[in-house]
Amino acid sequence: MLRRTLMASAAALGAAGLLAVPGLAQAQTLTVWATDQLAQPLVAELWNKLKADFEAANPGVTVEYMPPTGTISNGAVQAAIQSNAGPDVLLTNSGIGRVSTVVNAKLIQPLTAHYSDMGWKDKIFPWLYDILSSQFGGEIYEVPDGIDAIGLWYHKDMFAEHGWSIGGSWADFEALLQKIKDAGLEPLAVGPRNGANGGHLMGNFLQAAAGSTVMGEVVSGKKAWTDPEPLLGAERVVDFARKGFISPQMAGLDQEGAMRMWINERAAIFFGGPWFIGNARAGEYPLDNMGFATIPSDIEGESKPTGGIGWSWMIPTSSKQPELAAKWIDFILSDEVMRYRAEHPTGNQISPREMPDIKPVVPVMVDVFAAAAKGVGYNPSVYVPGSATDTYFQVIQGLIGGQVSAADGMAQLQAKMPAP
Amino acid sequence: MTRLTTTADGADLRAPASARRRDGSRDGFGAAFVLMLPAIALYGLFSLTPILFTVWISFTNSGGFNTEASFVGLDNYLRAGDDPIVWQSLGRTFLWLGYHVVLAGGLGLVLALAVSRLSRTRVFFRTAFFLPHLVSLAVVGVIWANIYDPFYGLISTALTQIGLGSWNQGWLSDPLLVLFSVNVASSWQGFGLYMLLFIAGLQNIDQSLYEAAEIDGANSWQKLCNVTLPGLRDVMTFVISLAMINGLKGFATVFVMTNGGPFYASEIITTYIYRLAFQAQDHGLAAVLCILMSLLAIVITVAFNRWRARQAA
Amino acid sequence: MSRRKPSELPAVLMLLPVLVVIVGPFLWLIVSSLKTEREIGRGDPFSFPAQLMWQNYIDAWNIGNFGSLIGNSLINVLGVVTLTLLVCAPAGYALAKIRFPGREWVFYAFIFGLTIPVQAVIIPLYQLLSNLGMINSLWGVTLAQVSNGIPFGLFLMRSFFMGVPNELTEAAKIDGANHFQILTRVFLPLSQPAISALLIISALSTWNDFFLPLVMLISPGNQTLPLGLVRFASTYNTDFRLVFSGTVITFLPVIILYILTQRRFTEGLTQGALKG
Repeated sequence: MLRRTLMASAAALGAAGLLAVPGLAQAQTLTVWATDQLAQPLVAELWNKLKADFEAANPGVTVEYMPPTGTISNGAVQAAIQSNAGPDVLLTNSGIGRVSTVVNAKLIQPLTAHYSDMGWKDKIFPWLYDILSSQFGGEIYEVPDGIDAIGLWYHKDMFAEHGWSIGGSWADFEALLQKIKDAGLEPLAVGPRNGANGGHLMGNFLQAAAGSTVMGEVVSGKKAWTDPEPLLGAERVVDFARKGFISPQMAGLDQEGAMRMWINERAAIFFGGPWFIGNARAGEYPLDNMGFATIPSDIEGESKPTGGIGWSWMIPTSSKQPELAAKWIDFILSDEVMRYRAEHPTGNQISPREMPDIKPVVPVMVDVFAAAAKGVGYNPSVYVPGSATDTYFQVIQGLIGGQVSAADGMAQLQAKMPAP
Repeated sequence: MTRLTTTADGADLRAPASARRRDGSRDGFGAAFVLMLPAIALYGLFSLTPILFTVWISFTNSGGFNTEASFVGLDNYLRAGDDPIVWQSLGRTFLWLGYHVVLAGGLGLVLALAVSRLSRTRVFFRTAFFLPHLVSLAVVGVIWANIYDPFYGLISTALTQIGLGSWNQGWLSDPLLVLFSVNVASSWQGFGLYMLLFIAGLQNIDQSLYEAAEIDGANSWQKLCNVTLPGLRDVMTFVISLAMINGLKGFATVFVMTNGGPFYASEIITTYIYRLAFQAQDHGLAAVLCILMSLLAIVITVAFNRWRARQAA
Repeated sequence: MSRRKPSELPAVLMLLPVLVVIVGPFLWLIVSSLKTEREIGRGDPFSFPAQLMWQNYIDAWNIGNFGSLIGNSLINVLGVVTLTLLVCAPAGYALAKIRFPGREWVFYAFIFGLTIPVQAVIIPLYQLLSNLGMINSLWGVTLAQVSNGIPFGLFLMRSFFMGVPNELTEAAKIDGANHFQILTRVFLPLSQPAISALLIISALSTWNDFFLPLVMLISPGNQTLPLGLVRFASTYNTDFRLVFSGTVITFLPVIILYILTQRRFTEGLTQGALKG
């Protein structure tokens, strides 16, 4: 492994005509693909601090941030890895469907060994480790950066002014959306065009209709999408679209478009995880006004956020610095970094392991932590196998746009699920 | 080099004496080869070889650039046959192509006819109408996605402002409308070139034909049908073939504006190839689509030229 | 033109609405790009900004790195145009004026490429450039674009050269000129229209190309303008003022250049293209 690294660096330097420079082992660059929002001062502050700390701990190493051009879903990660200018370590949207795409194409390295030799196994929740180690016949290819908790974001002032609140039964939820619609607002904003955000809404609807035990079986193929419980979730999406609670025009909107609707208070509710705080800040929305709630459910105790491993670190097979990359991930998993990130104003995620006494800067994060404390349901986007992800996202667009019935849509999705 | 000389010699032996005399030298093949070498090298390497390799990939289970592929026979072809999206995207490609020929070609023709009648303001209109063609299709996608935005777009806000809010449509979300909407954006960019070509064609029409028609007492409509349109025959052939090839290659606007959605409603063959090859990394199936697309292009070109030749005869 | 009737006012009046529809998007973008985010959020397309926000352009230019994107696009266009001329002119001459066995077949092999869209060969093309170490490099994209443009360029040059009378070739040969000298001293000076057509057409298609850069160019520092703008627009999607001013930055320079040279541009484009 070491020899390969040295040879790779030697080849790279040789190509640049620098082979004769002494001390080439010290001068190393680690190219990190993480955030595309470095133009925002707060985001830059956080990542520059990480860079400085890592460089201080590893003399001779320079960290360079490479702005992500997209995700696995739109092929940008694959393209970057295949080029000779790809990153050494990357943070991107994950979930089994997306990760299998890059694993099958042999674009990322297994990190299984580091889970024991660097102790990563004990640096994440045991249930996260169980999920990861069951996915690729024991091999693990990713390290979760955090876990998601997708719920409903609302405007505190708007809801207080009208005396609205999210809670109670599904019928109560419908009545609330009707009131919002009557007030001339878009009740639910969703942007399914680029996939993920449609999945956030759908996952919440499925959670409310089927509960997390059933959904766990559905996403792992033990139960069919066409069974009554998940089908009810899909039927409710169609029903809400027909009633105008989800405008059918939103079928052509992307996630950013839906966020804009909410940030400009033209829509009352947006489905997303705590990362949405970052977008709201970028849109100059007053963060104190953000409220977070879980989707109402008629099933006892199932009004929960959904989530899963949706945001992970990976090391490409083309990484010129695989060992330094592992060191970087280890650094990210350290107590100091995790605490710093969680308590930073951009700290809008839930750590992948128990972090006691975190004092989040953004007040609404307290509500997010409280909601997630009862457990997090399944966001199918990050659980359904690769063969079905694209169909899953397209079917959601079809349900919202009225192109496909709930039964048809679920049948098409079921057809793409591998046999259990 | 040796092989080259023998070929040249052999060729010279067979070449008719008249040809040799016309060339004035024995090195016709050699000189031609040297002059064509850069073209042959580049074209052979980056265009012809990839065509052959695409055929090979279509018979393998290649799952990405880093993977080992093995021969799987007609597997991918059978999978393509079973995939409803393949057939739907083919159909949508034809629809897309038709929209483009009619919208961009038609607008180009109509505006060329109108602009050609002008004299003092002619250059102004010709220049103004050509402006959209200078914008890259990908940028056109960004612009028109904002024009069509159902809540903030130019169309929806303008309709609401003038009290016609109810006319608003889900331009990019209505499955029956989306392909047309995106094509309008694409044709807005495309028509300018066709218009310039038609204007040039109009200038080449013999003016005496119009004078003769006037003497015969023809009205404007008759002059259009009997002089102008027949006179544009060659340009029209050129423009239609160009529009069909451009239409078949349509990618950027769809990719930027809808990414093939909603629910595959605007998926055309190029966006599906991109999805399969660079997102799903299913190279075998993508290669089958590449071959289908090439065949489609060849069939369209040959069939259209045959048809025109028969019309001419 | 002398036979035109005096008044063209009715025709102009009829064309004005068309003009509004076709040029409207540009005006809307330019006006919106000078508004504040709040003014844009109001959703009133017919209003003017209270104050012209030139700052939007400064911010977009800096955040989006448009200087480097424009530079890359210019290098790309220059490379493609130069190579296309260097490659297509001699080959077009050979296929038009030199008789050799199999000439038709060579010509057909090239013309075959006119019908094969670049999307249809993208997988092996990518693999090939990757093996040559040319992924993520402007050179890789440039070579692929040149190769893709060869069938058309060659067709255009050949058609034009065929129209040059053989007597000129014969006369030069009697003076002892070889093919290369005939091409450079006799044919190229004569073929201004074809050369400008090829130049304009390949420059336009390269400047506008999206597919090959999308697939090949990864690092933001190597990307071309259309790709860079799409990336910029999706990253700063909630920041309308930046998206609008960035978009204007991508097309305004070309449009100004076109308006300044429009007469020669139009002639070059149509004369040469229709000969082909």
